[in-house]
Amino acid sequence: MTATASASARVDLRPPAPINRPPVVTAGKVGLYATIVVISLWLLFPIYVIFLLAFNETKYTIFAARPDLLPTHLTWSNLVSGLTNTAVPFLPSMYLSLEIAFIVGALALAIGIPTAYGLSRLPTSLAFGLTTIMFIVNMLPSITIAIPITVPFIKAGLYGSPISIALTQELLALPVTVFLLVGAFQGLPKDLENQSRVDGAGRLYAVFGNLVPLIIPAIVASFLLAWMLSWDESTFALILYNPTTPTLPVQIFLTVTGRGNPVVGVAFSFIATVPVIILVAILQKYLKGEDLAAGVRG
Amino acid sequence: MAVATRDGGPAPAPVAGFLERHREQIYPFLFVIPALVYVSYFAFYPMISTIVYSFQTPIEPFTLFNYQSNIVSGLYGWIGNTLWVVAGALALQFALAFVIASILARSFRGKAAFATIALLPIGIATVVAGYAWSQILPNDGTGYANSLLSIVHLGPYFWLQTPSGALGAVVVADSWKNTSLVVIILVAGYAAIPRTLYQAAALDGAGPLRQFRYVTLPGLRSYIVVALLIRGAQEVNIFQLAYIMIGSTPQLLTVQIYLLYTSGEGIYLASAVAAVLLGIVGIFVGLVLALGSRK
Repeated sequence: MTATASASARVDLRPPAPINRPPVVTAGKVGLYATIVVISLWLLFPIYVIFLLAFNETKYTIFAARPDLLPTHLTWSNLVSGLTNTAVPFLPSMYLSLEIAFIVGALALAIGIPTAYGLSRLPTSLAFGLTTIMFIVNMLPSITIAIPITVPFIKAGLYGSPISIALTQELLALPVTVFLLVGAFQGLPKDLENQSRVDGAGRLYAVFGNLVPLIIPAIVASFLLAWMLSWDESTFALILYNPTTPTLPVQIFLTVTGRGNPVVGVAFSFIATVPVIILVAILQKYLKGEDLAAGVRG
Repeated sequence: MAVATRDGGPAPAPVAGFLERHREQIYPFLFVIPALVYVSYFAFYPMISTIVYSFQTPIEPFTLFNYQSNIVSGLYGWIGNTLWVVAGALALQFALAFVIASILARSFRGKAAFATIALLPIGIATVVAGYAWSQILPNDGTGYANSLLSIVHLGPYFWLQTPSGALGAVVVADSWKNTSLVVIILVAGYAAIPRTLYQAAALDGAGPLRQFRYVTLPGLRSYIVVALLIRGAQEVNIFQLAYIMIGSTPQLLTVQIYLLYTSGEGIYLASAVAAVLLGIVGIFVGLVLALGSRK
């Protein structure tokens, strides 16, 4: 009696019986893949719609009572009319967006690298305070910043210039860049810097000559992320744009909200989207939540 | 080796030694100064300007006219609509992101492909997403959602007919665009939860729901706080997506700011609404931080 009881108690302590595992796992697998398929369809469907809008004939898309769900009437005409339409200059807008995005990326590194290094070496409490400031900047509503900032830009004669738009978009890019790079700097052994300084390197050289090359992947990721944020940004760019040449997102915004043929805008935005999607796929492994989360956890 | 080199050099004088130690504190701060100057001028100065402008008109140095005028025009309604969208979008995004992140926390065949798909919407410009969704959920009974539903002989639906329908459409579109960011953050959180906790919970007889409640949620706490802060603040800021999809009916705070600013009313009326928007972001951040730090 006692022997049986202790035997069953011993059995109870074991992990779940392995015999039950295989069928459970299989049922779970079916559920898992079903969920994945449903979520993937939800995520991909709007992208597919963008493709249809861009390359299907308009009488089967925006002018149809039941838009065609299949790419049955493919055409280049939307894209061609976008390229040849002189009233809505998309190509200059695209160049402008490219230019601004590169400025934003470069500025993000120029300010972000020193800032991230400084934050990674400051006492924790001070670094936390400064990180919080960057975090708050990231959360300020763009439109409440964009409107008053027009005043000094107008005074300085910079209103509508690429640099003015880049300087405001940097508010979105810089905090993210700093969070990413602080994580990268903190990941480096502190001895590395001390050692290169003891070996006779100056402080600046120790940082920029020895530490920075070690975090190149994080720097590339930051640059691309800043570039992407700018490429997509449309609130600052809308308030600060130069009417003759808005940025690409603003051009698309103005087109689809009532100025010109929206399909042209979508054809262009599809083309403009492809490189960004490729970027996202590349960036995937760098887009780490830990780095974004580092901000608040200190 | 490093120590040997230092010992081999001339011993630093006491004053120089003090400066050196002092410099260790100051030097890193010098690196941060450009960023501080930059955000002071481009973020905090305009922020304060907005608040100052909101209490001014071209002729009066201090007045409540801008607020009173906006209240008459329907400020409370705009606040309500904005809060509706923020709450709805956060709820939907977090629900979706929890499902996606919990899937990505496992290992299975095809995981890399699914991870890429889960991040794709980040690559679609907001204005493009807004336009695509305006063609999926339009107001006139056409659109791609109705095309899909007609396959199973449903509809057509006039999605934006009611205010809650219109706001709901914005919530759906915005959630499609922005769930990915929440996923990125939550995936990192899941990775930080030891697998053994789940095994222990399962041994104690906890089902998936109780595991979620007692293992996942506490483990993800700080990540949830971060994701809520980032997304919540951006959600209050929602503008082009909503404007492209539903225009001004019903009206959101951001759209109203834009329309006031571009209508030639000057920046004063717009600043009052902008100040309210700032206030909402401030209250939201305060609430999340207070709830997040409570043990």
